[in-house]
Amino acid sequence: MKDFDGQNPSAPSDPISAWRLRVIFFFFCAGFVYVAVGLSYRQLVQSVSLTEKSDNQGQRVVILPPSRGKIFDRNGYVLVDNRVRWSVKADLLALQPEFRKEYLALLKKEKDRFPDRRPDYDQLQQTARLNVLNAWLTKIWFVIDSTNQKAAKGTAKVKSTPDLHPEERMVHPDTLRKHLNERRALLFPLILDLAFPNSGHAVTSEEGNRSVARFIEQFPVQGPITLEADMVRSYPNGKLASHVLGYVRDTDILKGQLDDELAEKFANLQKLGYTGKKGADGIEATYNEVLSGHSGWEHWTKTSSGYNKERLEAKPPKQGADVALSLDTKIQKSAEEALAKIVDSQGKALPAAAVMLDVNTGEILALASQPSFDPNEMADRVTQAYFDQVNSEGGWLNRSTQGLYAPGSTFKLITATAGMRANKIDWDDILDCGPSYMVGGRAFPEHDPVGYGQVDLEKMLAVSCNVWNYQVGLRTGPENLAKEARRFGLDAPLLQKPAEHNNHSTTELPNPATRMVVPDRAYKQRIAGEPWTDGDTANTSIGQGYLLTTPLHMACLIASIARGETRTTPSIIHDPGRDGRHAGAEPIGLNTQQLNALREGMLRCVEEGTAKSVRIPGLPYAAKTGTSEYFKKGEKAHLAWIIGYAPADNPVVAFCVLVEGQLDTSTWGGKTAGPVARDMILAWRSAADEKDK
Amino acid sequence: MSLSWAWLFLLLATFPWLLGVDLLSDSIATSGVCLFISGAAIIAPCRRLRRWQAVLFSACIGFLFEALRPIPDGSLALLLVFAAIYLTSHRDEIRDMPRMFWAAVLVNGLACTAWFLAAGLAYLKEVPLLSLHFLGQWLLHLLLATILAILLLVPLALVQNFAMDKIGVPQPDEAA
Amino acid sequence: MDNNRQGAKASYVALVFFTGLWMILPSAVRRFNREAFAEFQAPALHLVGKGRDLARYWELQSRSPEELVAAARDLARINAALELKIHSLDDARKENTRLREMLRYPQSTEFVTVVARVSVRETSSWWQRIIIRKGRSDGVRPGCPVVFGDRVIGRVSVVHLTTSEVDLVTSPGFRCTAFLEGDDQNHVVHVSGRAGLALSAPRAMVSIIPLGYNPPAGQIAKVMTTGLGGVFPSGLTLGTLETGVQTTSEKHMLTGALTPAKELSFIQEVSVLIPKYPTAGEILLTPADTGKAEEFR
Repeated sequence: MKDFDGQNPSAPSDPISAWRLRVIFFFFCAGFVYVAVGLSYRQLVQSVSLTEKSDNQGQRVVILPPSRGKIFDRNGYVLVDNRVRWSVKADLLALQPEFRKEYLALLKKEKDRFPDRRPDYDQLQQTARLNVLNAWLTKIWFVIDSTNQKAAKGTAKVKSTPDLHPEERMVHPDTLRKHLNERRALLFPLILDLAFPNSGHAVTSEEGNRSVARFIEQFPVQGPITLEADMVRSYPNGKLASHVLGYVRDTDILKGQLDDELAEKFANLQKLGYTGKKGADGIEATYNEVLSGHSGWEHWTKTSSGYNKERLEAKPPKQGADVALSLDTKIQKSAEEALAKIVDSQGKALPAAAVMLDVNTGEILALASQPSFDPNEMADRVTQAYFDQVNSEGGWLNRSTQGLYAPGSTFKLITATAGMRANKIDWDDILDCGPSYMVGGRAFPEHDPVGYGQVDLEKMLAVSCNVWNYQVGLRTGPENLAKEARRFGLDAPLLQKPAEHNNHSTTELPNPATRMVVPDRAYKQRIAGEPWTDGDTANTSIGQGYLLTTPLHMACLIASIARGETRTTPSIIHDPGRDGRHAGAEPIGLNTQQLNALREGMLRCVEEGTAKSVRIPGLPYAAKTGTSEYFKKGEKAHLAWIIGYAPADNPVVAFCVLVEGQLDTSTWGGKTAGPVARDMILAWRSAADEKDK
Repeated sequence: MSLSWAWLFLLLATFPWLLGVDLLSDSIATSGVCLFISGAAIIAPCRRLRRWQAVLFSACIGFLFEALRPIPDGSLALLLVFAAIYLTSHRDEIRDMPRMFWAAVLVNGLACTAWFLAAGLAYLKEVPLLSLHFLGQWLLHLLLATILAILLLVPLALVQNFAMDKIGVPQPDEAA
Repeated sequence: MDNNRQGAKASYVALVFFTGLWMILPSAVRRFNREAFAEFQAPALHLVGKGRDLARYWELQSRSPEELVAAARDLARINAALELKIHSLDDARKENTRLREMLRYPQSTEFVTVVARVSVRETSSWWQRIIIRKGRSDGVRPGCPVVFGDRVIGRVSVVHLTTSEVDLVTSPGFRCTAFLEGDDQNHVVHVSGRAGLALSAPRAMVSIIPLGYNPPAGQIAKVMTTGLGGVFPSGLTLGTLETGVQTTSEKHMLTGALTPAKELSFIQEVSVLIPKYPTAGEILLTPADTGKAEEFR
């Protein structure tokens, strides 16, 4: 509304309006001052930190994984290596135009089909990317596929629809989404391992090489698809010594292996880590720190859409150190091959373990456990099916170091030693040994129904006479038996790392058994709440009852006896300068005649006794067999043992073999476990002869 | 003879020179250097040919060089066409011999840089484009292109002018 | 304004328009254009080749008859020896085929050999190529290996009607797999051409060599084709591995330079090995509508 002069009645001349204007003016001024001060503060005071922040947003650090160290046997033979892995990768940045083209085509199709509906743009983009990548993948498969017989005849056509391919030959939507979210800057792996493109599909190494060669020679050099090579863990001998070597599994390097320098230098930058590898079992786990090496890094600027632009600086990764094991591949192989021959009625290999030690140094020459697993299957592409299969077979357990068993008649060596040390029997004392022996009103049987008659120490060891041991055990008493067993370290944890090496793991192999049992009165009272009886003593004297130990312990026991000492410190690490001193070792405490009788008895065991079937002409060795009972599914089954050393006159190697008999198998120490020991000794002899040459 | 085809006859007259330079490159093949004269070859025709004729001629010269080499299609031809348009619209820049020399050196150098860069970009994955090695190579090619332009411009222009006289292409002043 | 400049603006606009058009044109058009200009030059290239042959002819003409007679005699002897060798190789080939069939082992690729003279050598920082006087009409296809004797020269990258362009071993467009002499485990290594340093002999790179590889003592290690990729027959010599093999920046593998087998820049004649059936890679490069393979790069 206007007045007659054409002026607005509420013009600024109105005093109230002027006041209002002043207020508004004040607020405007205040606002302006606020903005000006704020801007100045940002420009002058915060500019340095803001510039840094902006720089940081435009940069990133890419972590490069180091190559793991190799693992050798004592002769320098490679047990664990790093294999070249050829990967086919797609450059997503170079594929952008193709993605766009496909996206527009899909969008048009979608709009034509549903003109009224708003398309799901994100989904269309994802589908477009998948389609393009799958089309490239189809082409790659077409080139590398060995089964593409038509291609060889020149009649094949490249399939344009990736749907015709099995699922594992297509890009998984989740994999792509994850890559775009987390690793957009890196090349997208289309085929991770060109030599083994199908994880479930076994191929020979030559077929693998053919795939690689076909891609290199036939796929166009130019274009968005590139070939990259890196190193992955490889176990060239497959299952050989798998429990010792272990396996590796994926690990997030960002959470573990960033060194302090890197963490400090690039504290505020985005970091992109490759998936690294970490030891998960065996030496790979216990010596992970040594084998791992150090990560490298690359400092990049990035584009606004998140791709790498320019590399500013870089530090190459450092390969991990090598580890030399004390194993001898030849002996290990023979042990595993011999174990594999022990089968049940269905032809399935029986659970078993075999150990061979260097008598003087305690270095482990062979450490086998059956069933086992193939670490190659675990290294890069483990499938749930394979994991479950090994699990159901009980293949993860290292029976040599983790399996707890009653030692059976092999324990008679301790009984005899305890008896002699307690002056309850001497080497030439003869005991009358009938078909059984009454203990506490119960007849404890001999394994030969007619008995052995007049038996001395040597004969006892040769024929493994039970009655002799019942008598000596009862004379010696349970405390002396337990004391002697402990003196030989039957309940002591083994494979402990020297203090200076145990920065990560305290043992040389993961989780060696710690719950060995050497029973005494207190033990039974604690476990069963009952007092110890003579029957318990009789059982203990023949290695039955509550006694539990591992094959490695028994191998150490026999190595100690071979040297005339009480302890052997076994080690899986090869050290040429090892002095042969063993922690806690003391002389065995028997006189020469007693010790000789013990050794002669074991020699006779092979020459004429329970291990006669596995004697080696021309190579006398000493052994003690054992067949102990254990309960499987509530029924009695047998464990077959053999421990010993070779050669008999100048011990160099000690061994222990254990086989878990099943309900339907006839399992005997000499017959079942003996052949494994024989093969190991022969392999050692052959390896030693070769070295002498 | 129709003047419309002058560019083609001129091309036939120029081609032996291009082939000759290729053979010269062949004879020093171990050195890994590619001799280049295509840029200088369009100078004289641009003085006298009509613009569209010069454009066609330059495009053909470019495509001839590209045809047997792994250079991205059109990278040299389009640059020469640009040079031809510029030269035919600034004929005073090439009205006398000294100016022609300058133009030959510039166009030959520019065109040499164009194909060298384009080829480098085509092999980006295998070849580090931003390196001293690349810079050295480029300078070497540029130097040789400049020397060849200076050395061959006069005989090339003589032959081209002779051909144009025979075809009846008007003299520069008349063409302007 | 100068008269010359009249219409210049329109020409520039037209150029920009044409450049844009050129970029979005179907690749077939660009290919046709390239092909047309290549064919335009083909007669001249043939002429150059023939000229070289004529020069060689006149050079031989200048030799004395005694010299030529001696050469002919030597050749006759070599021919006789080769005849014998062909017979024994024929038997070996039959035996090989029989054994492969028995073992169900993939048959080795069969090749047809086409001998071709070299017209022109094309080298620059970015490529090392030769143009040979055999093309599509002679059955040459992109991707075919090109050899001289038992030495690899390169592989065909572009085929025209009567000429072909061959990427030499040292050209960045070349790559293949190889075995190294002295590597008992026969690791597959990667051979690829690299841009040459100007004024120096061109080189190729041998990469992905295992860290533990040691060249045979006192010898220069030969680099030989694997025959696994279905393109090159096995056992052809690619060249020799130069001493001074270096570890890669990641210290995971070794890498070294390859000196090509034959002095590539002086080669006059080559053999193109044409596989009897096209390889999968060749089929991949053949657009369904044309049936003609694209440039192999």
